[in-house]
Amino acid sequence: MNTAAIKNPSWFKKIGLTLLLLTHVFAFSLVTSNADAHDATKIPRLANGKPDFSGIWQTTSAADYDLEPHSNRKDAPPGPGIVEGGEIPYLPKALEQRKKNFENRATDDPALKGFTLGVPRGIYYPEPFQIFQRARDLNIVHQFGHSVRTIHTNNTEHPEDPNDWWLGDSRGKWEGDTLVVDVKHFNDKTWLDRSGNFHSDALQVVERWKFLDPNTIEYKATLTDAQVFSKPWNISVILHRHREKNFQLIEDYRYTLDYDQYYPPKPDQK
Amino acid sequence: MSSKTIVGALAVLGVVAGALPANAHHAFSAEFDAAKPVTVKGVVTKFELVNPHSWLYLDVTGPDGKVTNWGFEFGAPFSLKEKGVTKKTLAVGTEITISGYKSKSGQNYGYAVESTFADGRTVKTGGAQDAPTVQPATN
Repeated sequence: MNTAAIKNPSWFKKIGLTLLLLTHVFAFSLVTSNADAHDATKIPRLANGKPDFSGIWQTTSAADYDLEPHSNRKDAPPGPGIVEGGEIPYLPKALEQRKKNFENRATDDPALKGFTLGVPRGIYYPEPFQIFQRARDLNIVHQFGHSVRTIHTNNTEHPEDPNDWWLGDSRGKWEGDTLVVDVKHFNDKTWLDRSGNFHSDALQVVERWKFLDPNTIEYKATLTDAQVFSKPWNISVILHRHREKNFQLIEDYRYTLDYDQYYPPKPDQK
Repeated sequence: MSSKTIVGALAVLGVVAGALPANAHHAFSAEFDAAKPVTVKGVVTKFELVNPHSWLYLDVTGPDGKVTNWGFEFGAPFSLKEKGVTKKTLAVGTEITISGYKSKSGQNYGYAVESTFADGRTVKTGGAQDAPTVQPATN
């Protein structure tokens, strides 16, 4: 073969071309992996080195229509669902309630009354929310309903004498660059989506927040509720950073809509 | 602070309170009937410490031995906490006597003006500004 190659100059050309291609591919892969490494180190961080989730975020997922896989219907686009394994493991009695909720969703969804969305629904509800973060806590402001949730990251525990909060009580800890949040002490007045998936006041949510890149968060949560579900189950959604120029939250406080007619006050109104 | 300022501050409070949802946060007169005073004694089945109003549910045994579950509106969790009322005070199974008013709807719920706990304490548990004081029950 060597002799043939020497005899035939086209072999040199072929080998040369192959080497050139290989070099290019190798060089390109180097550039790409460098870029990845660069992005990974570029995620925003607080002065203490922890990832900084500050910003305005929103999912593009159809999760709020129905957490489970569903085809299109008159009040919802289709969606693959965000439940790991597809179905929520309801206890038999709770499944009956979920079916009733589904039938009455046009009137019974607490979000339609302007109620606080709860956790985790506020995260994948199709409206933006903003995170303000410092070393000791993260404060999440939801556009819908003006709800404000504090995730404490100062190594404190849940209160010993809790209320039944709409957004529960959130205590976070860092596992590397992942923020793990334990949320409990809820009331039973919120739903998990507009299709009637629900929980009791025994709900416990463990969230995992992680940057995929500087503008994308992977949000995962495990839901446990012995009164409603036969076992814990998991959801996962991607959150995107709003980067539109001058983007900001706009008040969406449904309770005040009935009073809008009185504002601004007119001189002839008493 | 002059009385004018106080009136002004109250008026502002009124506007803020008025902006809250009618179906969740309301005046006494919107839901309850001041002409239907009620006193019930029973055992706590659930105590929801929820804003803007807490709710206490209790099983009441009637003269005929029939058990009925009643729900009573309490004040906001923080105001109850200030009076020493927490989840532990009214754990499931605790005995309680409530004096208040029935709902306008006639269903088994009402407004708790004051409650007497198993330890003998009597506490103002209602939170509405326009609620009347306790009257002898007509139930």
